[in-house]
Amino acid sequence: MQATCHEIGLRVLNSFWNKIFKKILKCSFNDKLQNVQEVSAIKKKGNPTKKRTIAEVNEKIRKGDVQVLTAEEMKKLVESSGIEVAYKEVDVVTSGTLGAMCSSGAIINLGHSDPPIKIHRAWINDVEVCHPGAAVDLYIGATIMSETKPFEYGGGHVIEDLIRGKEIEVRATAYGTDCYPRTKLKTTLTKNDLNQFYLLNFRNCYQRYACATNSRDETIYTYMGKLLPRFRNATFSGSGALNPLMNDPDYETIGIGTRIFLGGAQGYVIGEGTQHDPRNRFGTLMVRGDCKKMDPEFIRGASFAKYGTTLYVGIGIPIPILNEGLAKKTAILDEEILTDIVDYGIPRRGRPKLGKVSYKDLKSGTITINERKVRVSPLSSLKKARIIAETLKSWIENSLFYLSSPAESLPTDTTCSPMKQTEEIAFINSVVHPAVTCTEDDEIKTVAERIISRSINHVVVADDEGRLRGIVTSWDITKAVAEGKKKLSEIIVRKVVTTTPDESLEAASRKMAQHQISALPVIDHNKRVLGIITSEDISKLLGR
Amino acid sequence: MVRILLRFSEELVDKPITAQVILEHGIPISIVAAHIDSQGGEILAEVPSTHVEKVAGAFREKGVIVTFPKLIEVDSERCFDCGACLSLCPVNAISFKEDFSVVFDQEKCIGGPCGTCVDACPAGAIRLVEQGTV
Repeated sequence: MQATCHEIGLRVLNSFWNKIFKKILKCSFNDKLQNVQEVSAIKKKGNPTKKRTIAEVNEKIRKGDVQVLTAEEMKKLVESSGIEVAYKEVDVVTSGTLGAMCSSGAIINLGHSDPPIKIHRAWINDVEVCHPGAAVDLYIGATIMSETKPFEYGGGHVIEDLIRGKEIEVRATAYGTDCYPRTKLKTTLTKNDLNQFYLLNFRNCYQRYACATNSRDETIYTYMGKLLPRFRNATFSGSGALNPLMNDPDYETIGIGTRIFLGGAQGYVIGEGTQHDPRNRFGTLMVRGDCKKMDPEFIRGASFAKYGTTLYVGIGIPIPILNEGLAKKTAILDEEILTDIVDYGIPRRGRPKLGKVSYKDLKSGTITINERKVRVSPLSSLKKARIIAETLKSWIENSLFYLSSPAESLPTDTTCSPMKQTEEIAFINSVVHPAVTCTEDDEIKTVAERIISRSINHVVVADDEGRLRGIVTSWDITKAVAEGKKKLSEIIVRKVVTTTPDESLEAASRKMAQHQISALPVIDHNKRVLGIITSEDISKLLGR
Repeated sequence: MVRILLRFSEELVDKPITAQVILEHGIPISIVAAHIDSQGGEILAEVPSTHVEKVAGAFREKGVIVTFPKLIEVDSERCFDCGACLSLCPVNAISFKEDFSVVFDQEKCIGGPCGTCVDACPAGAIRLVEQGTV
């Protein structure tokens, strides 16, 4: 049955008034409820629903009665007294970390020479520095290495030397213009001779980082330090529960303009760092600070053998406990922070993950990989991280450091995407072909015949299970004949340079050139022979 | 146990000197590390602390140069206590104190024949000490 227009209109009107009426009732009830709760809460313990503001905290700092705890102390307080008490008692929690932060550098301004120069290329203590802007502005990148002492001295060391007040040697060349006629420059300077000397780091303070280990048969040298063969050690970075971004993971208080401890002085967060990936708890920061005021105890040039130079940067961030949620967040424990154990032995973007481990395990010095106990080293200084949190605490307590409200929040939803590649890179697995093999018991003559019949130069020696035992080349056979050797075991080359399916063709050909050899057996991590690649394969591919 | 470094000249290499000292004095000597070829070489040995003088004297009598080595030197100004070296040491000579300060146990370190930690130090603070004659 159809309702008349009048009936429908009435029903709509009724339901409209019903809704409004209910809403009014609900509001006044909720208000009352809230009032009752507030009153009883005030009776119990002051005024907990009132949130703390940064202005109030700063006022307390000015008066000298601010309550500051380091993140480690906060965790203990929450454990013993609970979150409510911690929120009520504590105004600020200080965090800290000091680690290798490669995406760091300093901008300096030299002042103008006479006649003036528009620098084209420049070096400080033989480290080439970038010249990205106008005439005499230079950016010292931490990872640029000295041309005379590579892997030993680099941009990070130049920054440290300048902060220490040491003299540096600047050399520069230019093409000469009508306004900047000078083409060559050489001078020595200290930080006092520079107009500006600012740390300008575009990716610092990683929230956490992977734990690195190595499956290969050889020691590898990485930005995660020296990794011994066959998972004999592991390394990690970051201070875990003391790490700044771990204590404010939702960026409630850390944003653009947040004042921080940077290299022993006061600096600022100027944005999210590159590769900022807060969703996966891999947040990063971009920071700036006045190097002239920094302390070399908290900022150091460093070098990772066969990888390159870097800068160790000390960062501490104060987290104002504006609400109970922040009290809870700053109570995070090392055992709650997990990270992946990653095999750096596989030189691919998607390095294999071997399991998860907590920062508590990492700080204990031993972790378990493939059911075996493995010793693990930090690369960042846990001792300095603590000192930074303590120093920042004392600055705030002594009214030397005030908190700042961020001018803008940092993104909380970005992720780090891989590179778009328009040129495909070839890996060994795309060119590997079956190897001609023999066993140690074969006769030299048999192997020689195999070389002729298959028209190859390399025969891989494998055991019954297909595991690599050595290699024999046509040259070895020729030599054996010339020297009258009869047994194959006398001429097998036992120390074999090998490759794996995941190695890039470029890396493999570099290996061949380095060792002056023309083939590499391809093996898996159990040393089983999967095939071989030769320099001819690579030349064919390049000639394509 | 005390560490002693024994240096053998080219002329001494083919003589069973260490075995002779052990047999003649009945003192156990444990060899921690050795690097010897036809040109001469070194043995790093551990001897019971009660017999150090006797053993050192016995080796010296046979023409061996005996020193009490300091094998590794750490520049405490450069070291910023990261601990990158800890997991590399094969004899657990490097450890953390309670406050995460890095400490080197000179007694445990085997020095020259190892040196694994030296190139792993980001601060460049670890140096092998050249063992000169004393």
